[in-house]
This record gives sequence, structure tokens and C-alpha cells, in this order.
Amino acid sequence: MSARLVARDVRKNFGGVQALRGVSVTVEEGSVIGLIGPNGSGKTTFLNLLAGAEKPTSGTIELNGRRTDGLPVNRVVGLGIAKTYQIPRPFLAMTVRENVAVAAMYGAFHRKPGEARDDAGRLLSLVGMDPQAETVAAELTVQHRKQLELARAIATGARILLLDEVFAGLSADELPRSINLVSKIQKELGFGALVVEHVMRAVLTLSDHVVVIEEGRTIAEGAPQEVVHDPAVIEAYLGTEVARAPT
Amino acid sequence: MADLGLVAADLVVGLMLGCVFAVIAHGLNVIWGVTKVVNVAHGEFIMLGAYGAYYLNLYLGFNPLLSVPVDAAIGIGVGFLFYFGLLHRELRGKETITRESEMVTLVATFGLSLILSNVALAIFKGDAVGIRWAPETLALGPVGVPLGGLYVAISSVAIIAISDLFLSRTYLGNAIRAYSQDIGAAQLMGINPTRIAAIATAIGFGLTMAGGALLTVWLPVGITPLIGSTYAPISFVIVVLGGPGKMWGSLLGGLTLGILIDVLPAFGISTSIAVAVAFLILIPVLLFAREGILR
Amino acid sequence: MRIPRMRFPTFGPTLYGLALLMVVLGIATPFLPIVAKVQLINFLLFVGLAYALNFITGLTGYVSFGHAIFMGIGAYALGGGIDRLGFPPLLGVFLGAGLGAAFAVGIGLVTLRFRGVYFAITTLVLFLAAKNIVPEISQLGEGGGIFMNLGFQPLAQFYTIWAIVVIEIGLTYWVTHGRLGYGLRAIKSDEDVAKTVGVNASRLKLSLFGISGMFTGATGAVYAWTLSAVLPETGFDITFSLRMLAMIIIGGAGTLLGPFLGAIIVYVPYNYFQTVQSLLGLQLAVIGALVLLIALFIPTGIVGTVRRYVPFLRRYIE
Repeated sequence: MSARLVARDVRKNFGGVQALRGVSVTVEEGSVIGLIGPNGSGKTTFLNLLAGAEKPTSGTIELNGRRTDGLPVNRVVGLGIAKTYQIPRPFLAMTVRENVAVAAMYGAFHRKPGEARDDAGRLLSLVGMDPQAETVAAELTVQHRKQLELARAIATGARILLLDEVFAGLSADELPRSINLVSKIQKELGFGALVVEHVMRAVLTLSDHVVVIEEGRTIAEGAPQEVVHDPAVIEAYLGTEVARAPT
Repeated sequence: MADLGLVAADLVVGLMLGCVFAVIAHGLNVIWGVTKVVNVAHGEFIMLGAYGAYYLNLYLGFNPLLSVPVDAAIGIGVGFLFYFGLLHRELRGKETITRESEMVTLVATFGLSLILSNVALAIFKGDAVGIRWAPETLALGPVGVPLGGLYVAISSVAIIAISDLFLSRTYLGNAIRAYSQDIGAAQLMGINPTRIAAIATAIGFGLTMAGGALLTVWLPVGITPLIGSTYAPISFVIVVLGGPGKMWGSLLGGLTLGILIDVLPAFGISTSIAVAVAFLILIPVLLFAREGILR
Repeated sequence: MRIPRMRFPTFGPTLYGLALLMVVLGIATPFLPIVAKVQLINFLLFVGLAYALNFITGLTGYVSFGHAIFMGIGAYALGGGIDRLGFPPLLGVFLGAGLGAAFAVGIGLVTLRFRGVYFAITTLVLFLAAKNIVPEISQLGEGGGIFMNLGFQPLAQFYTIWAIVVIEIGLTYWVTHGRLGYGLRAIKSDEDVAKTVGVNASRLKLSLFGISGMFTGATGAVYAWTLSAVLPETGFDITFSLRMLAMIIIGGAGTLLGPFLGAIIVYVPYNYFQTVQSLLGLQLAVIGALVLLIALFIPTGIVGTVRRYVPFLRRYIE
């Protein structure tokens, strides 16, 4: 059965602040959903709720019909949903290979240590980090840390990946390469992804479907090209962001 | 049912005890709040402050209140030494204290506390000493208020009030607060982080040793090299109760402990249980109000 | 493409070395003079405590200042078991282990939610509270403690603590080599991230705290057995908390050899100064100085530092 993550009318309050006022998104295995919105619109909060890092105030999150909201993060990962951190957080004292191997051992795959190290090797060549496999993570560049973050999330065996700004901060020549890489990996492995992104070019290239949120609400959704031309979206957000996005 | 007069008397003593607890914890509060470093050897510096007051009394006839400024001055010097000898290498160039540095400073100051308490034990020996200074007792109806304790309480509240004013009203104080909230942003405002951290540590040590001097009023025959192991945990609990970096938090935490330790026995609970209860308050506070009771 | 497998689990030279040492001690001790027997018992008590604390503080990074609380629980379990229930000493040691584990799990359920210094302070506070409460309990002999008339049983004591240490070393090896080892290193490095790759950090920490409490309780019981008495001062002795911490910091927290090395370094001055009354306090000052220097200059302890700077030894010590 292919995995299907459904969030329905998810709301989240922090004290008196309503960070999310009802967002619904469906991510299916094999498809990429883009989630965009201005700063502070609630994207990262939404991702944290899906990943189990926080509990929604109301609304439901289901994976294949099974409620996941309220479960601790490590259980959610075990069911096949993994997220990356916007600012990469590798296990600094461990090598790159070990970072990925931990995820293979404890994620949904439950690999034995030996198998996990093999898995890690394959994944590292997939993301192009073969030469760094035995490097201690503390010594990695930012670009490599981002790739490691992705490899580690994939290694958990997740069928749904939540990618939080994996392209932020990349230079103009790194960007196309990185987009191609993610696109290639996604097609090869066939997982579903929810991509939170500021870089419009990445969203438009990767996504099959785009959801736009502003102030915790969905203001538009549809095919990438449609959404870009939606007047509400342009007014809320794209008017300024498109002009700044690297082309 | 406990005798109300007795409870009132215990309450007064408890309040005064709470004030002295507050002042000995205050230096820890400042250092913890600003640098995020917990000085495990805090108790040993209280002990050194107490011995400072004892020797000032022995050789110069100072009473404990007079020793406060002298101890504070010594403490400031010690604080600079402590900062540059121990903390600087961990805090230098960092915008937030890493978990690693937090553990290094925790363990290093733990080592320091072993050194200080045991060297002090070798030098001062295990015999308890004390300062003969017993101002009169003020009769307030049925309740006798020892004036020594009252002076200490007033000094304690004054010290906390002044430190609060200093942090909110002076340029240096505001720089310290900015540093404690966001080192990176403070640097952008032109604040030299090393200077601020060193000054805050020095002030913290001055307060700690001054607190040790005030404590001697409560220990007429009880100054030993090992008092640190009694008063350090009390200070830790107080700072957590009030919230690190909140100046009035010291007083709130101190009074909470002082009252519990002094008033519970009036209800037939033994003093050791009362002390245990006062310590264990820490756990619900950490569970339900992680930033301390004060908002 | 095939990536060569790491050769886990193979038995490393450190484990062989420690095993050999323990076997030699196990065989030779009955033939040693009585003074040496007593020395070895006391030394192995230190080793047992060091490995016990290593399970939680060494492997997860949660610093406990209050571990002597579990020694006290073990000691009182032994005293109570012998004096009130008529247990033989060995059963008392098992009771100490069981109660140590039970209390550790109970305490851990609450306190392991606190991180860093907050956990450290909470353990210290719990220790002090226990030290205040226990002498008030009449069933535990109040402040007067419990005296046991057991006679002198050095060999029984020796083999009990010997077995505890052997199990600890084996368990440390097993935990650090394999799945659990990876999960624990992840927790020690960044607990939140460890959860996002699926590590059940809460359960793992609690298990290790329970194991740590169990071995500390068992060792505390043997210690009380060697004293033939349980007193509030010897049962709940903060200097043991401090020595335990010093041992693993000096030797190398979280390593297999580190606790053993740390125990040697802490035990030798303890034992030497014990005989020279005037220097009794200075042994702790010396240990404090070592801890301070190690924390500042080589925070990974002796084993971690040798592994880092002497690459050819990396294969042999862990």
C-alpha cells in the first residue's frame, strides 16, 4: 500500500497566538507538495505538527488512516514520516556514515548495525557524499550538512519526507544542481515529500501541487503555474518574493 | 493545631532566614543568568566570604556588616580571576553556550569545589568558629526580633534592590541584560562580550562573598570549611525557584525556603523533613514552571 | 557497490585485557594475604561504582551528583534484609540491586525530563532530601543505623563485588557495541535530533538510569556488608557521589576502559591518605585538581584523549 499522509483542518495556538487556523494538506507517496507562504505564515509550525514535535490544538493528522497527532516524534518516525531541520543538526561527534546509519537502525527500517552501515553507504553515494563518509560531521561545510540532513531523513525509511528549506542559503550555481539532485532522488526512491521553501524556482520545478498559506490559513492551492498567477497569492506574497528570487 | 504566637515567631525568623538565603544565592543568580554557567563551587566562595568576615573580626574587630564591602571587593577580584582563568576559554567567541561548554564548566567548577573545600579543611581545620556579635532583640509584642538578623535582612533586600536598579537603570546594567538575552545582538550594538561577561562574573562573586559575610551573623559558632556543601544546594534551589537572571527571584526563592524550613517545624514536622521538603519543591517547579516562579 | 562491513561484534583487546585481569584476580585472591584481600575488595567497590555511574553519565551525558542515594538504598536494603528479614548477605545484595533499580526508574521517570545542569542539580537535591529523610524513619534504625553481626567474610564479599564488576564490564561492552551504542551516542550528541531519527530517547535513558541504579545499589550493599553496619553517614555519603563522578571524568566517560583507569587513579590516593590522618582531606583536593584540569584541557578523559592523539593505540583501547 502506498503511504498517504492527510492533515485535516489543523490548528495550533501558542498561548493567545493562533499560528495555524485550519490547514489541510494531503501528501501521497510519489508526489511532491510545495508549501509556501511569507515568513511567519506558519509553515515551520505545520511541519513540526506533522512530524510529531508538537501537538495540534485541533484537527487531525493521519497516515494511511491511522492518527499520528499526539504521538511522540520517535513513534511518528517509526511509522514512516521524517523531517529535516532548516538549520542542519548533524550528530557532531559522529562520522557522516554513522549519522546516516543511526537513522537506518532506529527509523522505520530497524536495520541491524551492519546493514545500516551498508544502507548509509548507498545513500551517501546517492547524495554524492561518498568522499565525506568517514568525516566527522563537525567538520562538514554547510552544503554538505544540508545533504547529510537529507540522507539521514531518507535513511529512516520514511515514505513521507518533510523537507524544511533544504535549498535556503545555497549559492546561484549550487542551486540548480541541488534541485536536480533532490528531484532525481525523489523519482528514484519514490517517496512523497512536503517541501517548505522560499526559493520559488525549487518549488516550481519540484512540486506537483502547491499550497500557499498566509497567517496560518490556506489562501490558494493548485498546480504550480496556476498558483503563481493567482492574484491573491501575488498580492499576499509573491509580489515581493518573486522579484528577489534568483533566476 | 499549632500555637499561633509560635507560628508568628517562626514566621518572622523564617522571613529573616529567607533574606539571608536570598543574599547568598544572589551572586549565583547573577552569574547563572548572565553567562548561563552554573558555578558548582558557589558554596565554597560563600565559605571563603564567611572566613573573610571572621578574620576581619578577629584582627580588625570589624562586625559582619562592616566586612560586607571588604568581602565584596575581594570577591570582585576573585571573580575576574575566575572568569579569565576558567570561563573565558569556554565562552569566548560563542553566541550561545554549547551543551559541551555547559558540561565542561559544570565539571570544572565541581573540581574547583573539591579543591577549595578540602584545602580550606586543611588550613582552617574542622573546628567551627564564629563571630561574637549579638545586637539586642527587639520585642514586637510576643515576638522577639533579633536585631542582627533584621540588619542582615535589610542589607539583603537592599543589595537585591540595588542590583535590580543597576541592571535596569545604568548603561552597564543594560549592556549586561542585552548580553544575557542575545550575545550576537549585543555585539551588533557595540557591546564587548568578554568585558560584559567578566564584569558580570566579578559582580556575582562580589555578591557571593558579601553574602558569606552576612551569613556569619546566623552562624555565631558555626563557620566551618564545609558550610559550602550546605549552602550551595540551597542556593541552587533558590535560583531555580526564582528563575536564573531574575533579581527579585533570589528573594522569592530565599523566602520560600526560609519560611518552609522555619514554619513547618511549628506544625510538628521535624527540621530535617522540613529541609527535605524545601529542597524537593524544586521538582514540581521544574516540571510546571521551567523558567521559575517569577514571570 | 559494496561497502565493507564494520566488524561488529568482534571482541576488542580492551575487553580481553579486562577479562584476563578479572580472571587472574578471581583465581589469585583466595591465596593472597588478608590485607591484600581487603584492599582488593575496596578497590573493586570503587570499580563497581565507576562502571555503575558510567551507564548513565558516561553513556548519555546526564551528569548525576546524587548517585550515592542509590548506594544508601542498597546499604539500607542489605541492613534491613539481614536485620529485619533474616536474609543471608547475598540475598541482601540482590535486594539492594532490585531496590536500586526500582528507585532509579521511579526517580528517572521524573528527573530525566530535565536537561543539563537542571538534571545535575535535581540529583543533588534528591540526595540531600533522602539523607535528611532516612534517619527519621524508625524502621531504618533512625539516626542510629543498623548493625549486623556477620563476622569477617572477605572471600564472600570479594566474589560478590567481583561478579558485579564482571557483569558491569560485559554489559558496558554489549551496550556500547551495536544498535544501542549508536542510539546512545545520538542522545549524548543531540537528544532532540535523536528522536527525529526514531530513537526512543526517553525509554533508553530510563533503562540506563535503572541499570545504573541497580549496580550502584548492589555495590552500596556490598560496601555496607564490608562495614557490617549501615549508618546515615556511611550509607548516604556525598563524597562517594563525588568520587564516582571524578572516576569516570578522569578515566574517560562513556568508554569501556575509562572507569577502570579512573577507579585506580581515585582509589590509590584514597587508600594511601586513609592511613595518613593529617592528609585525609587532601586526597579529595588532589582529585578535585585532576578533575578541574581534565575538564578544562582534555574533557574526554584519559581514554578519549589517548584515542584522539595516539592513533595506533585506537585499535587497542576503547
